[in-house]
Amino acid sequence: MDPTSFLDVVSLTKRYGTFVALDDVSVTVGEGEFVCLLGPSGCGKTTLLRVIAGLTGFDAGDVRLEGRSIADLPARKRGFGIVFQSYSLFPDMTVAENIAYGLKIRNVSPERMRARVRELLEMIRLPHLADRLPWQLSGGQQQRIALARAIAVDPRVLLLDEPLSALDAKVRAELRGEIRRLQRDLGIPTLMVTHDQEEALALADRIICMNNGRVVQAGTPEELYLRPATRFVAEFMGTSNLLDVEQVRALFPDLLPGSPETGAGRRYACIRPEHVELRPDPGGVATVRGVTFLGHLRRLEVESPAGLLTVETHGSAEVAEGSRVALSVDPRHCTWVIDDMEAAAPGGTGA
Amino acid sequence: MSRPGSAPFLRRTFDGDRLLAAVCLGVPALGLVVFFLYPMVIVFLRSITLGDGSYGLANYAEVLSTRGFWRATRHSMVMGLSTAAISVLLGFVIAHGLHRCAFRGKALIRAAIVLPLLAPSLVQALGLIFLLGRNGLVNRLFGTDLDIYGFWGLLIANTLYALPQAVMIIGAALALSDARTYEAAEVLGASPWRQFRDITLPAARFGILNAAFVTFIITITDFGNAAVIGGDYSVLATEIYSQVIGQMNFNLGAVVGIMLLLPTVVAYVIERQASKRQEGRGGSAAVPFVPTPSAVRDLPMGALSFLLAAAIALVIGIVVYASFVRLWPYRFDLTFRHYAITLAGGYSSLWTTIYVSLIAATGGTVLVFLLGLGLRRAPAAVARPIQMIAVMPAAVPGMVLGLAYILTFNSTATPLHLLYGTAALIAAVNFYHYHTQAFLTVMTGFRQLPVALEEAAGSLGAGLGRIATGVIAPFLAPMLISAFFFLFMRSMVTLSAVVFLTTPKLTVASVTIMRLDDAGLTSQAAAFSTVVMLVVALALGSMKLLMRRLGRAAHGAGAG
Repeated sequence: MDPTSFLDVVSLTKRYGTFVALDDVSVTVGEGEFVCLLGPSGCGKTTLLRVIAGLTGFDAGDVRLEGRSIADLPARKRGFGIVFQSYSLFPDMTVAENIAYGLKIRNVSPERMRARVRELLEMIRLPHLADRLPWQLSGGQQQRIALARAIAVDPRVLLLDEPLSALDAKVRAELRGEIRRLQRDLGIPTLMVTHDQEEALALADRIICMNNGRVVQAGTPEELYLRPATRFVAEFMGTSNLLDVEQVRALFPDLLPGSPETGAGRRYACIRPEHVELRPDPGGVATVRGVTFLGHLRRLEVESPAGLLTVETHGSAEVAEGSRVALSVDPRHCTWVIDDMEAAAPGGTGA
Repeated sequence: MSRPGSAPFLRRTFDGDRLLAAVCLGVPALGLVVFFLYPMVIVFLRSITLGDGSYGLANYAEVLSTRGFWRATRHSMVMGLSTAAISVLLGFVIAHGLHRCAFRGKALIRAAIVLPLLAPSLVQALGLIFLLGRNGLVNRLFGTDLDIYGFWGLLIANTLYALPQAVMIIGAALALSDARTYEAAEVLGASPWRQFRDITLPAARFGILNAAFVTFIITITDFGNAAVIGGDYSVLATEIYSQVIGQMNFNLGAVVGIMLLLPTVVAYVIERQASKRQEGRGGSAAVPFVPTPSAVRDLPMGALSFLLAAAIALVIGIVVYASFVRLWPYRFDLTFRHYAITLAGGYSSLWTTIYVSLIAATGGTVLVFLLGLGLRRAPAAVARPIQMIAVMPAAVPGMVLGLAYILTFNSTATPLHLLYGTAALIAAVNFYHYHTQAFLTVMTGFRQLPVALEEAAGSLGAGLGRIATGVIAPFLAPMLISAFFFLFMRSMVTLSAVVFLTTPKLTVASVTIMRLDDAGLTSQAAAFSTVVMLVVALALGSMKLLMRRLGRAAHGAGAG
């Protein structure tokens, strides 16, 4: 076992009837680490979080905290903190009572409770709202209070179930920063479920990418973005150009030496749009078909002998629709991925 | 009526839509004035009209000085409070069982809860008499000498009648809870008992308060059960009846009516506030609560819920059974002979009731729809007072409204007396008796109606009439159907409001059942009740079917 690991999920399997929601999943959260469970809806990430919280049972495997199994411990004895997408504050309690609830259950003295609530309200920057009722607050405020309520009891692990998904973009970005800051300051091992890859990239020390009830790849945000192991990860973690061996041979032959031995299944070269270098060249093999101006960059649709490619550039205002261009890719920026999706063969671009 | 807000449109050139909107509001508002406000004023005036035609408080002095009045008042209060307390307690048990516990057969309990809505409120009393009366099953089987008439019989009958209402109101409050809230508490370390105390009870408190007031009002205003099983235990509702029908003393009856109105109005106002607080908390459950099995909790709660549901079903079931038994409780062979009604008129009152209920339901649904439509377009200064009047009838006991009607429409002072003795008047009293509930149902629909929908239709050139029939009515279809069947089913079974308005030539089913019971033809009363229940059950079934079809059509449209 990893010496720094704090929470271990070992070979967990969970079935609903014949549907396998979690298939032999192993996950580790280290001391003070922020881990994101990332995947599309229905991939099992929320089920995994609920199993860890003790809110849902499982069929095989184990959940361990500091090496000891907590599988038989009911949720209320695990000493965790949880925040849901739907805020889920107690509707008949004030903000202060909500935050104090876990302390009240632990029979903390009233003075200490008041001091702790004040401290937490300062921490989430809402000290003036102590006596409000939840329905009087905005979504962002409610979610901060839910966060304060969860960390009030110094939880051993903080579990966040899509905490930002119900909020609008601006509030989401704000609260994202807040969660990161609080987690760093307090050093609580945190596991967050999200389907938003941007959120995961921005927050996590480590991302665990899931699909169909399995862990597809785990690693730092950089590793997952720059070195995806499979086509699923490459497509889920932002936009990519996926080219098979024939297409690579036609377009970027200098990338071929990096191609691994052909094992089982097809392999693709994954090239991120910002890593395709493009220069105007009347004799170039590719033609610009569309230009989308996005402010900080331009996204170009480029037609090449290997199909349509997506390219992102920061300058190149001179490249207009219809221009002939030459393309090149630095071999260091190309990753070969295996095809774990048996869908139709990819074109030049992935979503 | 002065309508300050309408002045601007009078100055403009003729606008068909404005006129139509004014008519939409004007017709139902006029109805409320003539068939609700005016009779209520009359009943009040009659309560202060003295023998020589002058006004004064002598009637009040007379009524307040009689022992009978104070006894009836005390009885009504004791009965109302005990019924409310027991109904809320037991209602909470069933509602909690249905929404918070995991056991099988909840559909059976839900079905039992609906049964009392199918029958006139005197059916509980009839059932208890078959079971526990002098010639009841229990006395016959065990050789006991139970006498169910009086306080205990009435308390049981009222509780069995009010309990389903309490279950529905408290259940609605419990249904709002969010599963995640409980999970958050669980993860924070709260035991099931603490979760119940800290989340469930606070969430249900307005529902509980609401249920207490509703069951209190139902009980003190109910006439059927009190008339059949009350015996010597007089209550205000029976007191009004005996003043008016027994002693033909209309003015004193009006006084008792006003005295019954007071506690009802107070309870109703508080109840409305409680409902508003409940709505104010708002929030539909993000993730509905699904109870996880727990034997310690589910076994007792399930057993108790089934027991109570069985009691509700039993007293009604025994009425149906007794209607087929040759000679209760001596000869239990089955027969249809009680279905040959020997009282004058036979089944004619049943057909009258169906006819009256159809008029009340159709006319009533159209009127509340027009009212909602008109209110939407009326300036607030006009809309608000009309809206207030529209929700007032719920505070008026049926006995009082019925008395107000006989005082208003049986007097030759106005041409309104032409309506006296007609089916239309009985339909009117039923509609205005239940006006509030029908109105609020339809208003719920209007509140959900997106303004953009009307505006889109309007900008496409549709006039108000077109929008109302082509856009608004289809959108409101579920609420209009609910209002229609609600009015129909209530009109089929109500007794308190119509008891004063029936004449030898024109009578309704619930009054016939009471007369049959009075005449000692209890088995025929049971048979007649069974037929009424059958009609109402058919109506309820049709409503469910229609709603399901409507739901499917809406789903189909949504998917396509």
